[in-house]
Amino acid sequence: MAMFNKNQGMPTPKNIETIIGPSVKVQGDFKGEGDLIIEGILVGTLQTKNNLKIGENAVVEADIKANNAFISGKVKGDITVKGKLEIAGTAMIIGNIRAQIMSMESGALIQGQVSMPVGNISTEEGKPEIKKSHSENKEEKYLEKN
Amino acid sequence: MYLYIYDSFLSEKKYTDLLIKIEKRLVDLGIKGRIARLSVLKNLKELVLDATKEGVHTIVAIGNSQTFAKVINVVADLDVTLGLIPVDNDNPIAKALGIPPKILACDTLASRIVKKIDLGKINNHYFINTAQIVNGDVVIEYNDFKVRPTTDKHLITLYNFATNEHSSMSSPVDGILEAVITPMKSSVFGHKKITQTVLPFTKIKIGSNQEDQVAILTDEQIIMKTPAEIEVVPQKLKIIVGPERQFV
Repeated sequence: MAMFNKNQGMPTPKNIETIIGPSVKVQGDFKGEGDLIIEGILVGTLQTKNNLKIGENAVVEADIKANNAFISGKVKGDITVKGKLEIAGTAMIIGNIRAQIMSMESGALIQGQVSMPVGNISTEEGKPEIKKSHSENKEEKYLEKN
Repeated sequence: MYLYIYDSFLSEKKYTDLLIKIEKRLVDLGIKGRIARLSVLKNLKELVLDATKEGVHTIVAIGNSQTFAKVINVVADLDVTLGLIPVDNDNPIAKALGIPPKILACDTLASRIVKKIDLGKINNHYFINTAQIVNGDVVIEYNDFKVRPTTDKHLITLYNFATNEHSSMSSPVDGILEAVITPMKSSVFGHKKITQTVLPFTKIKIGSNQEDQVAILTDEQIIMKTPAEIEVVPQKLKIIVGPERQFV
């Protein structure tokens, strides 16, 4: 499934599973399996196994875990993204960011630490945060042998 | 054996010709059966239960959306197959199920494509299509989070299946219902729709923030009140559908 980005605009309706519109406030621990678009207010925690888009007018006060994410709104909380994180120029993020791939447009505001580990990042609960990649394991075995 | 249930409004003279044509077509197709006409004195539940005891395995409701909604609530818990013959041309439930209006529906009955579809359940009442709340100050409670509309004017629709292209992607065979919150903003040109909220669910609770209970209208017929527990009952209803249905 294609990652959301500003050039693509809204994904086709077939890809959308959950939309939190601008006229809605969500409070609590939100867990989703499919794609998630947030245009409204969310307070609590936020986790999806798929793609996440936080719109320009959205306000999210939550720790976020997602597979891929596109952020153009306000976020207060730590962000962990397994794949690619795209930050638009309108984004305001107060919190730490962990992502494997990241792009950021000029104008975006980040207050927090940004880390981009070499290994895989886990977004699932109870699992270690960073798992070593296949190539890293191979490298270690090679060094042990020699 | 078939049981055909005629809704009480079909006793009006304007339907006489149509009913004769339907009966003729059913005879031609070899699927004629017993006829029961609903009236104030006849209890639908007793009528259906008696018929099933006598070996009826297919109940066919003839009428409009409200007729279907009534019959579905009776047959959902029985081991029977439901057929529908809509007497109106623009019936949303029939359209979604691929059932053409009036006499053409007899051919759909005869071809007998049977599907097991999901039903929505509010407290102890089933709905096949939608349940709606208009402008209610409500809280939708999921297991781990709560959703609250922030606008005064909005429409909350709980879909089992979508009856128009723009509302939701619901399907009556996916084991999921969808809550769609549509804010209504007034402008010079009347009401203006803005981005909807679409939240899939299998079970939610709807409560009210105000002292008064909020009305929930199911399938344009029954009015329920908050607090209400709404859940999907997967594959609950055996129903005859047409090839033009809006789901697989």
